[in-house]
Amino acid sequence: MLRPSTGRLLLLLPTATYRATAFVEAARRLGVALTVASELPSTFEQAQPDALVTLDFSDPERAALQATEFARRYPIAGVIGVDDDGAVVAAAIAGRLGLKGNPPAAALAARDKHVQRRELARHGVPVPRFELHRLDEDVMQLAARVHYPCVLKPLRLAASRGVIRADDAPGFAAAFARVKGILEQAGCERSILVEDFVPGPEVALEGLVIDGRLALLGLFDKPDPLDGPFFEETIYVTPSRLPAPAQLELARCGEAAVAALGVREGPIHAELRHNARGPWLIELAARPIGGRCSAVLRFTAGEEGREKGETYSLEELIIRHALGMPLPVLEREQRAAGVMMIPVPGAGVLREVRGIAEARAVPLVEDVAITAHPGEALVPWPEGSRYPGFIFARGETPEAVEGALRAAHGRLTFVLQ
Amino acid sequence: MSSAEIRITAEPIDDARCKFLVSEPVHDGGVRRFASPDEANGSPLVEAIFAIPGADVTEVIVSGNLVTVVKRSAAPWQVIGKSVGGAIRAALAGARPAIAPKPAAPVAAGGTDDDTLYDRVAELFDAQVNPMVARHGGRVELIDVQDAVVMLRMAGGCQGCGMADVTLRQGIEAMLQQAVPEVKGIVDITDHTAGANPYFAASKK
Repeated sequence: MLRPSTGRLLLLLPTATYRATAFVEAARRLGVALTVASELPSTFEQAQPDALVTLDFSDPERAALQATEFARRYPIAGVIGVDDDGAVVAAAIAGRLGLKGNPPAAALAARDKHVQRRELARHGVPVPRFELHRLDEDVMQLAARVHYPCVLKPLRLAASRGVIRADDAPGFAAAFARVKGILEQAGCERSILVEDFVPGPEVALEGLVIDGRLALLGLFDKPDPLDGPFFEETIYVTPSRLPAPAQLELARCGEAAVAALGVREGPIHAELRHNARGPWLIELAARPIGGRCSAVLRFTAGEEGREKGETYSLEELIIRHALGMPLPVLEREQRAAGVMMIPVPGAGVLREVRGIAEARAVPLVEDVAITAHPGEALVPWPEGSRYPGFIFARGETPEAVEGALRAAHGRLTFVLQ
Repeated sequence: MSSAEIRITAEPIDDARCKFLVSEPVHDGGVRRFASPDEANGSPLVEAIFAIPGADVTEVIVSGNLVTVVKRSAAPWQVIGKSVGGAIRAALAGARPAIAPKPAAPVAAGGTDDDTLYDRVAELFDAQVNPMVARHGGRVELIDVQDAVVMLRMAGGCQGCGMADVTLRQGIEAMLQQAVPEVKGIVDITDHTAGANPYFAASKK
């Protein structure tokens, strides 16, 4: 079995993550001593106290104290959070233990959409006009004075859950009530962000921040228009087909956002739009791309690595950076690649998915991963936030990759009850 | 059944490992693991998989209707998988059994044979591993030990669980390292996509 050869990594994995396998296997490939921290205890925690630990993810300072206590017995050399909450906890732990990481204020700003917009606007980063409103405000008064079209957003829910576009006052009132219901169900917030809808194509920017400088790892086009009323994501394809000047503006906007929020170290995932007025920063998270989408990114170690056929996963780069291990050249492979987050086919209980083999047989398709299990209730956006699966493709051009993803999706049939 | 009617579903685990779920049994004689082309002699399916050009296959594990292939090359599973599928169809259509019967267990270099290791791992699973995973409605089945590599299947709350890999690597593998250090590796042959009641279901983006 693999034996650790470097300092110990503390990996913050919420139990509801898609990211466990990718990070755990990356740590194994690198021979890293790994401790997995979750918000709920593993049944093996007592038997393997160095490998598993429970931290209070809801209270970053308490989690940092717990991690400090843990580190007295098992010294930690690096910490990684894989989601928005985990990034805040990781920042608190890094600060307390003197590890590489972000200032807690930067991680908090990246997690909270209102704080983030305030900081970005204050530093001149282009963001949509925004207002914060309480859930108990008079909705009709609000509807009469907001600008249309607008977008209503919860401050901290992930995966565009609860994000709704409104084009007029009746639409605003309906959207407000719906978001309020989602937030009450989630039980986490009393405020809502209302911002101008920004027209134009949306991209996702994946990067690694090293000592405050952003290294661009990938720019993904989202070829399905995200014009609302809900914002369920579907296809990501890289490299971007936007004109080079637009890509450069987007990258610079991402750099400006990193600097404005004070992000210093680690992965970022940002959503931006581009239109005639230039780039717009929609959101920036101090964590890597979510779901299983990271599988679409593969990196070479420069020319020498390409000749040997060596590739690195995004998770390997993130772990190497967190532990101060040497980083290979941060160069994405030359082929185009893409992923489709399979849209929720409707509300209901999943009985069966047909056509998986046929979808996998589509040329350029590398994998079709169905993550919803039989008997699971599928919930469409905006109430839902869980994709039933992912399709991956790789090819010579972004157009070919996009076509393969759509063709594979067309062969899938979800049988609901 | 003709080879055209055989349905094969590929489930890549990562760039190195991929499971192939076949619509009919490939091998009924328990789990067989092959770690070199020499070991594949007499098993047409595995001979063919080791011979796939450009794959640099290092390991093949066959159990029931599941074939797990481990490769060293960077060639994508999209390409290699088609050759594996072709090999499976050809082997099942052939006159000889796709997989030869398991030979008598060899004695490992350290003097510990697979049967002895199996007994020790089974005892660990019964006494410690399964009582622990049972708290989350899970179960871990020891399928076989071959060349000191443990093959297991996860069931119940573990099957399809978002934290299954954490349980496997941080829990079970770590316990095996301590209790049965002669074990060289651990292979999960679970079809996690079929898990109907995972303890933790992934729900975040």
